[in-house]
Amino acid sequence: MWKFIAKRVGQMIVLFYIFLALLFVLLDLQPGDISQQFVGNPDIPPEAKQLMIDQLGLDEPKHIQLFNHLKNYSTFNMGASWSQYPRDVSDILFSALPRTIYLFLTATILAYILGFWTGKIVAWKRNTATEKAVMGTSIFLWTVFYPWFAILMLWFFAAYLDWFPVGKFVTLNFESRPDLVNSISDVLFRTSGSEAASGWTSSAAPGANDVFMLLFTSLIVGTIAFFGIRWIVKRQVKDPTTQARLFTGGTVLVFGGFVLYWITNEYGPWAFDIFWHSVIPVMTLTLVSYAGTTLLTRTSMIETLKEDYILTARAKGVPDVTIRDRHSARNAMLPVTTSLVLALATVIGGGIITEQIFSWPGIGQTYLAALSSEDIPLTMGALALIGILALIAHLVADILYAYLDPRIRVQG
Amino acid sequence: MADLLTKPEGDAPEGEAIIATPLWRIRLRLFRRSFARNWKIFAQNKMGLAGLAIIVLFGLMAIAHPIFMATIWDGHEEGGKNVYDPRAGADAVIVEKTVVPDGEITDPTTQIGQTEAALQGTGLVIPEVGTVMTAPLANPAPPVISGVPHPHWLGTDPFGGDILSQLLFGARAAFALGFTAAISSVLIATAVGTVAAYYGGVIDTLLMRLVDLMILIPALPLLIVISGFWDLDLIKLGIVIGVTSGLGGTAIILKSQALSVKVRPFIDAARVAGGSDFRIVLQHITPNVLPLSFLYMMFGVTAAIFIEASLSFLGLLAIDQSWGIMINIAHTQGYTLQGLQVWWLMIPAGASVTLFSAGFFMVARAMDEVVNPRLRAR
Amino acid sequence: MTQVVEIESRGGRAGTTLLEVDHVVMNYTTKEGDVSAVEDVTFDLKNGESLGLVGESGCGKTSMALSLLRLLPDNGEIRQGRILLDGEDLVELSEEAMRQRRWRDVSMVFQGAMNSWNPVYTVGDQIREALRLHWPTTLTYTEETERIAALFEMVGLNSAMIERYPHEFSGGMRQRAVIAMALSCNPKLIIADEPTTALDVIVQDQILKELKEVQAELGMSIIYISHDIAVIAEVTDRIGVMYAGKLVELGDTLEVFHRPRHPYAYLLLGSTPSITGPRRKLSPLEGEPPNLLDPPKGCRFHPRCPFASDRCKSEEPPMTDIGGGHEVACFHWEEVPEIRELSK
Repeated sequence: MWKFIAKRVGQMIVLFYIFLALLFVLLDLQPGDISQQFVGNPDIPPEAKQLMIDQLGLDEPKHIQLFNHLKNYSTFNMGASWSQYPRDVSDILFSALPRTIYLFLTATILAYILGFWTGKIVAWKRNTATEKAVMGTSIFLWTVFYPWFAILMLWFFAAYLDWFPVGKFVTLNFESRPDLVNSISDVLFRTSGSEAASGWTSSAAPGANDVFMLLFTSLIVGTIAFFGIRWIVKRQVKDPTTQARLFTGGTVLVFGGFVLYWITNEYGPWAFDIFWHSVIPVMTLTLVSYAGTTLLTRTSMIETLKEDYILTARAKGVPDVTIRDRHSARNAMLPVTTSLVLALATVIGGGIITEQIFSWPGIGQTYLAALSSEDIPLTMGALALIGILALIAHLVADILYAYLDPRIRVQG
Repeated sequence: MADLLTKPEGDAPEGEAIIATPLWRIRLRLFRRSFARNWKIFAQNKMGLAGLAIIVLFGLMAIAHPIFMATIWDGHEEGGKNVYDPRAGADAVIVEKTVVPDGEITDPTTQIGQTEAALQGTGLVIPEVGTVMTAPLANPAPPVISGVPHPHWLGTDPFGGDILSQLLFGARAAFALGFTAAISSVLIATAVGTVAAYYGGVIDTLLMRLVDLMILIPALPLLIVISGFWDLDLIKLGIVIGVTSGLGGTAIILKSQALSVKVRPFIDAARVAGGSDFRIVLQHITPNVLPLSFLYMMFGVTAAIFIEASLSFLGLLAIDQSWGIMINIAHTQGYTLQGLQVWWLMIPAGASVTLFSAGFFMVARAMDEVVNPRLRAR
Repeated sequence: MTQVVEIESRGGRAGTTLLEVDHVVMNYTTKEGDVSAVEDVTFDLKNGESLGLVGESGCGKTSMALSLLRLLPDNGEIRQGRILLDGEDLVELSEEAMRQRRWRDVSMVFQGAMNSWNPVYTVGDQIREALRLHWPTTLTYTEETERIAALFEMVGLNSAMIERYPHEFSGGMRQRAVIAMALSCNPKLIIADEPTTALDVIVQDQILKELKEVQAELGMSIIYISHDIAVIAEVTDRIGVMYAGKLVELGDTLEVFHRPRHPYAYLLLGSTPSITGPRRKLSPLEGEPPNLLDPPKGCRFHPRCPFASDRCKSEEPPMTDIGGGHEVACFHWEEVPEIRELSK
């Protein structure tokens, strides 16, 4: 298994450099060199452009430029943004990154779990009204024009039903409690000063990002704790009844701990506000990739159900539900996990559109804004970061697959 | 049969007479037979038939547009353009109302420029609740069937353009783009797949690493930056989409199919008979990969339409008119939150993109069952 | 503790009847019509006895076996007849009652032993699952492991393999493990469907010997199903020959093997080369088995039968006892020559 992971990580690093080189080619293919780009745009400070020329070594031969480009990106030295001069590109991107990861992770995990569950049940009950309804909905969601769907969701939940806020990231005013803001950022995150200066959202005062980071960290810790407990229990405890009891206990413990933490925490309202803003974007993104997982799981389940070991299990007198969950679905999970990779393109593309439509200040929105303000360094940096995210997601899917399939896990 | 009759005398052996039938005719007959057989399987799938019906419907829409333009949609005003022109048409009755508070009359032809302007500011497009970020430039008119000089059956957009005309024109654009993208994607994927499978070795490794890379890079962000840096029209965009998606997963699937063809005896026979590599790939391997290629072409149309509409929606394409642009206009002009009150702005265009993709997707899934018997229901 | 490890047979006194299959009719419903896969099959099986079912592929052997466990696919249905296990009709049982009987009373060794293991669980865990479902008392994890180890040793596997995954086993080992799993709950009857088909000849022989020894030791009943009469003739007490969904001949193994009375059995044996038996000329069985959507009228074998008369085309021959428990469904059984005559 470790050998497998090491090999994949190696391949990913190589691919990442090829991707960076491709970015350079894209940059280079543009008509004229960078010094001649957008000369008519008065918003671009000449010194910003000069900085990029210096960094790339524009007067040197192409291969040296490429080398400089690769070297700069390897050290996260992506230059200064043109539209937000003199902020560093990496600084802008890294402050937007957690928000994108939050959107992306939540939607992917939810879609995977829910879609897998639905697909499994639908495949088991073939030729029923439920199957037809679910299939119809899934095909609709899978082929629906995503931006249009997102707009309709926004209209329906935020304007028509008026359940959720429209767009943006946070509405509560942090300035009303400056003491809180200072203490939290002093204690937890020292970067809040630069955050404030950048003005990454118009309505949020300093500290919103810190509260978000706290929320994000606690969510990650909670998720890791939840799966960690399950993993340890599964390995250490062999008795099924005790196992089930410990699973339930662990879940209650983690969930209870999370809720208790935020109830007693004085930043709770702000965290809840941020969470409340994220509901429609997450829901929209989830629904679309959920449909993909459902369709895939169904096909995969139908194929698995024809396998010989399903007949063995039936002959063994295994109850139907156990056959479905333990025997069929567990194997159907393998191709679905591989296909997570294919669904990834949808989620990333969808993520950019989601951020744009719901004004969610993440990488995708930064990317589009940078592109329209002709900010070349920021555009390139954002694209590189999206590439890294995609690579990491692929790696995770590969490792997950290896973990799920003993044929890879055991023999490496 | 005609060849048989024109044969001189009866001394030619029977076998030779049969060979005299032109090869293309035998091929045609075989093709007809296999088409009839596959159609029977396909026709059993209701979803596939529904998809086909949808595609035919959009095909009719695309054909209808120029016919309508030439006949019933004659909206020429004095010295002006036809109000039904899907690109620049603006109904004066509607444009009358497009006076913004400071008295400036907006020119409907600058739509795309305004889109970019809206994007450029803060990057935020959504107005706050209760306030309107960009005051609507004009009031889109609801559907009017009669009683006005120029009836608009599906209403107009905020600039006075006729929605139905734009919608029908969009179908043409969608077909043009979808087929360009799908055909170029399949050409590339088939070429890469068969060549990699036939030659193997270094060529195979290089091509497959390239494919890996294209799978890893999410297509939409890449195309966003490409269309941001270059002005792409529909056909160029179609080719770019085709190349990027053709180098992806489809190439791998076609390669594995080509590999299974490569080991069949007739390839060896062709090689022994002295066929050049190019000839073998083109004449013997490719035809056996084609059904699968065609299947992925159908999936390709769905993907291409989605990407084009997304890019248009984001205001990144320099194309005249498409469904994506229709949604973009409604959205950037601040009608998002009015929802069903201005349904003719959002629903027809969005539903068209969705249905069009769904049609090809459903046909592709049904064809999948023809090509891949394992998926067929008992 | 020891009682867990001890592998025993729960079968009744040897010689008493365990299983009675009584005029069973089983059909598959397809778009083209009903496929009569098992047609009016009757036989019985005594405790400790082993019975072989042979025939070409598609003749209904496997359908018969699946009917015994009621494991038919959704479109398969037992239309008529009774399957009595210890006097209880399995056809009448509720789905849940039937589920509890599976593996506890009747277990199965499948055709594709290669694929009958779920690839994502260890072999030990898959046997453990059967124990958890069907063992009369609740066992601790250690007790389960001990029992699985004992089973492994019984079929000649190293007990260290318990924690291994199926892909780490060779074909023969997998098949042995399948037998261990079949034995896990001390069943009364084991159905072995082509237990050795995919294995090489040496392993084939070893596995069959293993099964025979286990049976001698534990005394349960076994139904062997194979297309190869020579392979199972060594391990069975009685043999039934099936053709096109019907049982056409049933009798003692030696009797059927050396003096087949049904023309089909005669030709089937004639087309099987024998290493141990007398040298003989091989006479191939011509033609194809009939389409079961529309089986021939009268005797289902008549289109391929060299002895067929007009009567065979219209009238179905009943199973008739020709003495010594040897039953044949043929009007012309007396005309079928001794198989020895072929050796000339």
